Amino acid sequence: MSRVKVFFNSSVNSKIVASLAGLGLVGFVIFHMLGNLQVFEGRDAINGYASILRDMPIFLWTARAGLLAAAGVHVGLTLRLALRNRRARSVAYAARRYRAASVASRTMALTGSLLLAFIIFHLLHLTVGVIDPSAPDGLDTQGRMDVYGKIVRAFSNPLYVGIYVVGQLILGLHLSHAVSSVFQTWGIEHAALDHLFKLVGSGVALLVVLGNLAIIFAVFLGLLRA
Amino acid sequence: MKFTLKIWRQRGPNERGGFVTYSVDEVSPDMSFLEMLDALNQRLIATAEEPVAFEHDCREGICGSCSLVIDGVPHGPDRGVTTCQLYMRRFADEKTITIEPWRAKAFPIIKDLVVDRRALDRIMQAGGYISVNTGGAVDGNTLLIGKDEAETAMDAASCIGCGACVAACKNASAMLFVAAKVSHLATLPQGKPERTRRVMAMVQAMDREGFGSCGNQYECEAVCPKHVSVRFIAMLNREYLRSGILGTKMPARSDPPHGESY
Repeated sequence: MSRVKVFFNSSVNSKIVASLAGLGLVGFVIFHMLGNLQVFEGRDAINGYASILRDMPIFLWTARAGLLAAAGVHVGLTLRLALRNRRARSVAYAARRYRAASVASRTMALTGSLLLAFIIFHLLHLTVGVIDPSAPDGLDTQGRMDVYGKIVRAFSNPLYVGIYVVGQLILGLHLSHAVSSVFQTWGIEHAALDHLFKLVGSGVALLVVLGNLAIIFAVFLGLLRA
Repeated sequence: MKFTLKIWRQRGPNERGGFVTYSVDEVSPDMSFLEMLDALNQRLIATAEEPVAFEHDCREGICGSCSLVIDGVPHGPDRGVTTCQLYMRRFADEKTITIEPWRAKAFPIIKDLVVDRRALDRIMQAGGYISVNTGGAVDGNTLLIGKDEAETAMDAASCIGCGACVAACKNASAMLFVAAKVSHLATLPQGKPERTRRVMAMVQAMDREGFGSCGNQYECEAVCPKHVSVRFIAMLNREYLRSGILGTKMPARSDPPHGESY
């Protein structure tokens, strides 16, 4: 067996690497939310922000490649662990009662799969622009890509609002268990601070979800207009 | 008291099992859960039926032999006790109680409610020991151990190896068991020389047995009859990281060093 195979045959190693990749993705999700909040500063701010990112193609594509790699590692390793876990209990209990396991922790594989589907949809929708192709691929008055117009158009449609709100709830559920779990997986525990570690998970999840929902509902309720 | 029992019956390891319903009358509220099953078995024997096979030994909550998932919770509704310490007064009269064996691929069913838990023994053989030469007993207090370390080691060592953590875990993971053993020995000076190799070998043995991985759900801690804390799982992960960084040569053979042939 090769060294790599031996390394990843260990469930603890797989979990540590998967959590590292996952944490990279969490970092991006926070960055993405903060960047997009600039929509509240108006068309000029967010379009300018987008053009700054696009003016740095090496940075942009390195970040995209890194994210793709992190997502690939995270999905690959967690999928492998989830399949192993399923095999570890081949016969289910007839009666089952949980005392401590939260709903979020028990549905990580499900929320993770749904999240992947949502991310693919989101990329096809707002990044590549395959979904809803009638979207004006227009430029603003300064010749920059009109990200503001895209956002307003997307979230004026109740169908997309519905999909994105559900996506955010799934993201929140997944993050709340994921982030607090990282501490335990890395062996960080403390008699007094353990409670805080748990709160960090819910805190990060709440922050990201509320930030994103603010944009969606600001458009939908007409606070942000074209 | 009167109860309706839905018990998992399975003739042998490769037989098909299923639930059989029994009703038991004249149960004293002071009977333990196992005594209630004893009474049922007496009746079954008297009518020439096969008695229900279940494991038990000390019946005072320290041997780790008894098991049973009672109404979906390993060791039943009380916290911090084993099935033998569970009393029938804990249940409402005329209730239906579902009794199942521990369910995990690494714990194959031998008969009815009895499962083969030797996977845990094999994990112990992989590293759950210290290598010392036998000889005259050492004088007391020649090796001083701080109160905190002694307490931590004792908390971890209170694991009786019943396997309830595996039974309760959604992933049938044995992490709490392995964590308790690794933490116990890594905390004490006698266990320190082998701590790097031990954690690697025990985690490898755990994965080899087909247990799942830890999902940090803490269901194990909630059913542990000895209240072993999930803090020890963090300690195991820390020990594992430490060993990975320091580097250790794993034994080349894949079988455990003290392995017996089963």
